[in-house]
Amino acid sequence: MTGRTGTGPIWRRGFSPPPFIPYLVAGDPDLETTADYLKMAARMGVFAVELGIPFSDPTADGPVIQAASQRALRHETALESILGWLSGIPPENLPPLYLMTYFNLFHHMGVERFCREAQRSGRIAGVVIPDLSFEDGACYRPVFRAYGINLVGFVSPTTSPARARKIVRESRGFVYYVGLMGTTGSALTLTDETRRIVRDLRQWTSLPVCVGFGISSGAIAREILEFADGVIVGSRLVQDEREPDRWKKTFEEFVLSAGKGKG
Amino acid sequence: MKGGLTSSSMRRKGTPVLPDIRGYFGEFGGRFVSETLMSALLELEKSFREAWREKAFRDEFRETLADYSGRPTPLYFAESLSRETGGAEIWLKREDLNHTGAHKITNAIGQALLARRMGKSRLIAETGAGQHGVATATVAARLGFECQIYMGSEDVRRQALNVFRMKLLGSGVCPVETGGKTLKDAISEALRDWSRTVRTTHYLLGTAFGPHPFPLIVRSFQSVIGQEVRRQILAKKGRLPDMLVACVGGGSNAMGLFHPFIGDESVNMFGVEAGGRSITPGEHAARFAGGSVGVLQGTRTFVLQNPDGQIENTHSVSAGLDYSAVGPELAYYRETGRITFDWVGDDEALEAFQRLSRTEGIIPALESSHAIAYGVRLARSMSPGQIVVINLSGRGDKDVMEVSRILESKGEAGS
Ligand SMILES: Cc1ncc(COP(=O)(O)O)c(C=O)c1O
Repeated sequence: MTGRTGTGPIWRRGFSPPPFIPYLVAGDPDLETTADYLKMAARMGVFAVELGIPFSDPTADGPVIQAASQRALRHETALESILGWLSGIPPENLPPLYLMTYFNLFHHMGVERFCREAQRSGRIAGVVIPDLSFEDGACYRPVFRAYGINLVGFVSPTTSPARARKIVRESRGFVYYVGLMGTTGSALTLTDETRRIVRDLRQWTSLPVCVGFGISSGAIAREILEFADGVIVGSRLVQDEREPDRWKKTFEEFVLSAGKGKG
Repeated sequence: MKGGLTSSSMRRKGTPVLPDIRGYFGEFGGRFVSETLMSALLELEKSFREAWREKAFRDEFRETLADYSGRPTPLYFAESLSRETGGAEIWLKREDLNHTGAHKITNAIGQALLARRMGKSRLIAETGAGQHGVATATVAARLGFECQIYMGSEDVRRQALNVFRMKLLGSGVCPVETGGKTLKDAISEALRDWSRTVRTTHYLLGTAFGPHPFPLIVRSFQSVIGQEVRRQILAKKGRLPDMLVACVGGGSNAMGLFHPFIGDESVNMFGVEAGGRSITPGEHAARFAGGSVGVLQGTRTFVLQNPDGQIENTHSVSAGLDYSAVGPELAYYRETGRITFDWVGDDEALEAFQRLSRTEGIIPALESSHAIAYGVRLARSMSPGQIVVINLSGRGDKDVMEVSRILESKGEAGS
C-alpha cells in the first residue's frame, strides 16, 4: 500500500521530490495558462498536483476558490473535456495528477466511465473528492481500484480515532488531513492537536500523510513538514492564478520551503 | 379512530423502514458531505433517535406546538372555493395559522429542542422565502440561542418584510451573493459556516433535504401535519381523503402531509413543483420535469443540471420553491409511483393567490398558491362528494408587496 498505481506517482515516504502538492483550478484564467503551470510543476518535480475541475456549487471552498471556479466555468472545463485535453499534453510536461472536484461531476459522467477514460489517458494518478464521504464512497472504492485510480481519504480534526483508522486503511495514494475546521482559504494555525493527529495517522498507514487547507505561507509549510509528509497549498496559489509571474514566484517559494522540509 | 381503518403505521409493517441505516431511500439520499461535517451528522442522528424514543422529549415537542405555535391547525372546508370550482370538496390544512405563518415553525421547534439537548449554543439556517429564517430566529429568541440566517440576496430583496422580522427577533441575516443568489446558494453558505463552527453550532436545515439524517428528522417533526389531517377528516367526514396536494420546495410540507398516509392505498398524493416562466433551463424549478439524478448539497436526488453536471440556476415567483434539487424521499416515492408530481407556473400561481383571497378571505403564500392552483385543477376533474385536501403551507403577508409589484407591472393592479 504505497502511493503507487499503474499510472500514479511512485511516492513513498523518504523519497526526494519536494513534498508539496499545489492545487490549481483548471481553466483559470484559461487552459493554456493551466498547461503552463503544470509544465512548471513537472519540471520542478513536485510529487503531485491537485487539479481542480470547476463545479458550480463548491460547498467546501472559500471565496478565493469559489471565484476561480466561476471564472474557469467559462472555458471548456467539463470533466470529460479535461481528460481529453490532458491526453493531448506530452506526459513529460505533466506532474502526477490528482483530479479534485465534487462528486456530482463523477456521478454525472458515470464513475466507471470516468475511471476507464482516466486510465486510458494514462495521465491520472487519482482523485480527491471532498463530498464523497467514507460511507457513500464504499460502493465506489472497488471501481476506482479496479482501474488503478487512487481515491484519497480525508481525515479532519473532528474525525474520531476509530474512524480515522478505517479511513486511512481504505485510502489510496496519500492521506489528506484537513488541518482546520472550515473551508479552503481560512487561515491555519498549528496546534498540538494537529501534530498529535498527524503523528497517529502516520502510525496507522504507510501512505504519505499530507496536510491541506489554509496553508498560506512557506513558513507554515515548513513547520508542517517537520511532522507531516507533505503539504497541499490551494487558495494561496489560486489567488495568484491570473498573473503568471506572480503565480510562478509564489510557487517557487513553496517549492523552496518544502525542499527544506524532511522530504 | 373509526373501526375498520387501520393506522398507517400498522399498514407499513412488512414494507422497508426508510431511510435505511446508511440514510438512503432506495437509491436516493446518503451523506455526501466533507469529512469535517460527518461527526456532526453522526452525533445528530444518534441524538435524534434517542430523543425521539423518549416520551419526555416528544411531550415537550407537542406541548410547545400546542401552546406556542397553536396546533392543531384547523382543517377547513373551503366551501366557496369548492362551489366556484365545481367538482370535489376542497379542504385546506391551515398551516398558515401557525405562529410565524407557515409550517416551518414545527421543524424549527423540534430541531431547536434537539440542539439544546445536544448542548449547542448557536443556530444557523438557510432561508428562501424567509419563512424558515423567521421560524428559526423565533425559536432562537425563545430558547436563547445565538442565531445567523443565510439568505440569497435576490430573496433578501423580494422578501424584505421577513428580513426585518428576523432582525427584530435578534438574528443576524447574511445576504449571499454567489450563484443565482437564491436558496441553493444560501444552503452552500450555511454548510460552509457549519464546517467552521460545527462544535458549537447546530445547522437547523429547513426542509426534508440535505444529508442524512436531515430528511428523516424534518419528516418526523412535520408528520404532525398528516397525523392531524387523518384525525380531523375522520372526525368530520368519517373517511380518508381521495387526494392530497402539497407544493414542493425541498419537500417538508409535502412529506409532512403525505407520510402518515403512505400506507393508505386509496389516498392519492400530488406534489406540485414550480414551473416558473417555462420548462426551459434557468426558467423554472420543476426538478422532476427537467432534472436528472445527481448529487447536490449532501444528497443523491433529482437535480436540475446541465449536460456537464453543473447545477442550473432556477426561477420561480415563489422564493420557497426556487431551488435546483428536491428531497430524496420524494424522489424515491416518485420512482415507486406512490406520489405523482406535476408543476404549476408563475402565472397560474399568481391567479390562485388572488382567487383564494377573493373566494375565501385567505391570502396564501406564493408557495402554497402552487398547491391551491393544482388542487383546484384536480377538484374540477373529480366528482362531488370526493375530497381533496390541500396543504395551505403558509400565509401570504410576506408576498403582498412583491405580488402588487408584479401585478402593477402587468397592468392588472386593482382589477
Ligand atoms: C409557505 C411555504 N410553503 C412551502 C415552502 C417550501 O418548502 P417545503 O417544500 O420544505 O415545504 C416554503 C419554503 O420556504 C414556504 O415558506
